[in-house]
Amino acid sequence: MKKKLISVLLCVSLAATMLAGCGSEKAASSNADAGNDAGQEAPAESGSTEGGGAEGGKTYAIVTKAAGNPFNEKTADGFKEVIEASGGTAIIKHPEAPTADAQVSVIQSLISQGVDSICIAANDENALQAALEEAMAAGIKVCCEDSKTNPDSRQVFVNQAGVNEIGVALMEAVHDITGGEGQWAVLSATSQAANQNAWIEAMKKTMESDEKYSKLELVEVAYGDDEPQKSTDQTQALLAKYPNLKLICAPTTVGINAAAKVLQDEKSSVKLTGLGLPSEMAEYIGDDDAHSCPYMYLWNPIDLGRLGAYTSIALVDGTITGAEGDKFTAGDMGDYEVIAADDGGTEMILGAPFKFDASNIDEWKDVY
Amino acid sequence: MAGKSGRTIANVPEKSLKKTVLCWEGMLVILFIVINLFCGGISPSYQFANVLREMPKYLTEMFLLFPMAFILILGEIDISVGASVCLAATFTCMASNQGLPFGAVILVCLLTGVACGFINGLILTRFQELPPMIVTLGTQIVFRGIAEIALGSGGSVSLSNADGFRKIAGKAGIVPYILFVVILMAVLYSVVLAKTTFGRSVYAIGSNRMAAYYSGIPVQKIRLIIYTVTGFMAGLAALFLTSVLYGANTTTGNGFEMDAIAMAVFGGISTSGGKGRLFGGILSGFTIICLRIGLGQINMNPQLILIILGILLISAVLIPNISAKLKLKKKAA
Repeated sequence: MKKKLISVLLCVSLAATMLAGCGSEKAASSNADAGNDAGQEAPAESGSTEGGGAEGGKTYAIVTKAAGNPFNEKTADGFKEVIEASGGTAIIKHPEAPTADAQVSVIQSLISQGVDSICIAANDENALQAALEEAMAAGIKVCCEDSKTNPDSRQVFVNQAGVNEIGVALMEAVHDITGGEGQWAVLSATSQAANQNAWIEAMKKTMESDEKYSKLELVEVAYGDDEPQKSTDQTQALLAKYPNLKLICAPTTVGINAAAKVLQDEKSSVKLTGLGLPSEMAEYIGDDDAHSCPYMYLWNPIDLGRLGAYTSIALVDGTITGAEGDKFTAGDMGDYEVIAADDGGTEMILGAPFKFDASNIDEWKDVY
Repeated sequence: MAGKSGRTIANVPEKSLKKTVLCWEGMLVILFIVINLFCGGISPSYQFANVLREMPKYLTEMFLLFPMAFILILGEIDISVGASVCLAATFTCMASNQGLPFGAVILVCLLTGVACGFINGLILTRFQELPPMIVTLGTQIVFRGIAEIALGSGGSVSLSNADGFRKIAGKAGIVPYILFVVILMAVLYSVVLAKTTFGRSVYAIGSNRMAAYYSGIPVQKIRLIIYTVTGFMAGLAALFLTSVLYGANTTTGNGFEMDAIAMAVFGGISTSGGKGRLFGGILSGFTIICLRIGLGQINMNPQLILIILGILLISAVLIPNISAKLKLKKKAA
């Protein structure tokens, strides 16, 4: 019977060793100031009491969608870099599963630790409301990046993709690659996809707004429904229908990937641009005729994380409250303004999408 | 007391301090205390109030532990409870969004759970040769499928009016209401399992179903009741989960069945039936919850936490096994 006791104790000590080995480093840095005075009082006050004011540093947390999501991890890297440069402590929290439930536990834990701000990529727009409201009630500043929550559960959303910025960037690419004249087509996802339609609309608006686009002719918007096979079929149909076609613009990662393969396999002279994942598009990106896509766009996750960090700092400092019209300077990233979002909340827009071309694709293809 | 065979059977188990401390539940009490001291040591924010505040989400799984203990003691298993929670939560949100009064919403929630459990029970008692694992695997897929169809393309539903649920998620002082409900249920289920004929019958069925049947225990009736009650508890879990999440989605309740089984097994309840006490399961449930909260607060990698829990679980199964073997060796020697 004594053996039972001994073995249980051994288990505990095993767990303890693991903890000591793996957790101590993080624990030391993240908890040094988080909980000192926070816990002794009721938890409701823990966030607002200047947790660790004595040490001068504040604690800023970022919550990802899931561990192992490369996009999110790059965002967290950017976040950490800015926070640490500012003298604060960054906590990077991954939920144990890519679900909103798991994120609720993470938020609850952060409230206990008395962090100063939480920046979160939400797995569900509404499910985090109770937890995030509790966080805000405890004085914790809340912003979202990458994927937003509903307006009630956030102070501001750091939006990576401003509709107009994407429209302008893509039109500029179309103009540049075609040489300013000729036929071009759009390969979209489904005809109901709200973001796709908004981007296409923004492209059309950009095209009308400037005389330099007048020689460009948008012949068709095709819908590949974000299915590889249908996108392939649609691309082939476009090539057959419009022999003079010069360029296809696919603002969807599935569409651009399918089209790239068709164009490159058929050694078509038609060029491609749009929004695509570097990891999927690496083999198609290049300036010569052997590659179908000279360059494409997507957002830069590191910059997104950095802006999330600057926003968190500004919220904690009180420079901004997340109200429409608030302005602040995000370090070397320049000035940002909080604007009204379509969902009734507020947001700020990261800026123009990030360009992936032959010079940087090798570096990014392993990232996401 | 000498029997006819000349053997003596002690019908009152000997009670000594040593035995009380060294039984599995005694160990768990010690482990619980150790874990709490340990968490308090590693995390400065591991305070009573904080732990209580973080607890409600984890406690929803405790609701499933109670009936799961009964099912495991029967020698069976129900892996559809997570899906039942998902379905009940989905219907609850939809009912609430239809503008039904809150009482009716609660009723919808509990009834959905009961229906899920009753379907399991019905299939298992009508077709007794079917293995519970396969049947509940099937119903798990069906329940989740129905929930996903109901949720539609977006895959999630949110409460348009969360007032009633806010009340459920409330607290008396610093103690969340759900803790009271969990304690109430814990007492209720423990008493039923340990002190009533019904509870004794469950052990009898788990030890030897045929023998139980021939001694006049209504085996199928008891199974049907237990599976239905399991469904009811899934409904209750869904109700409280909705009060935390203000909605439901396709991942709601994912893995709850396994967490409940893990808590029970760690608490010394045997999956082969007939053995274990609910008190152990409850203790292990709280131990696991406290460990998760504590490790979460030091921002340990969540996957590492899962690994630790997995190791603890395996040790929980291994230790009694090894010690039993050692005992046998001692006797042989």
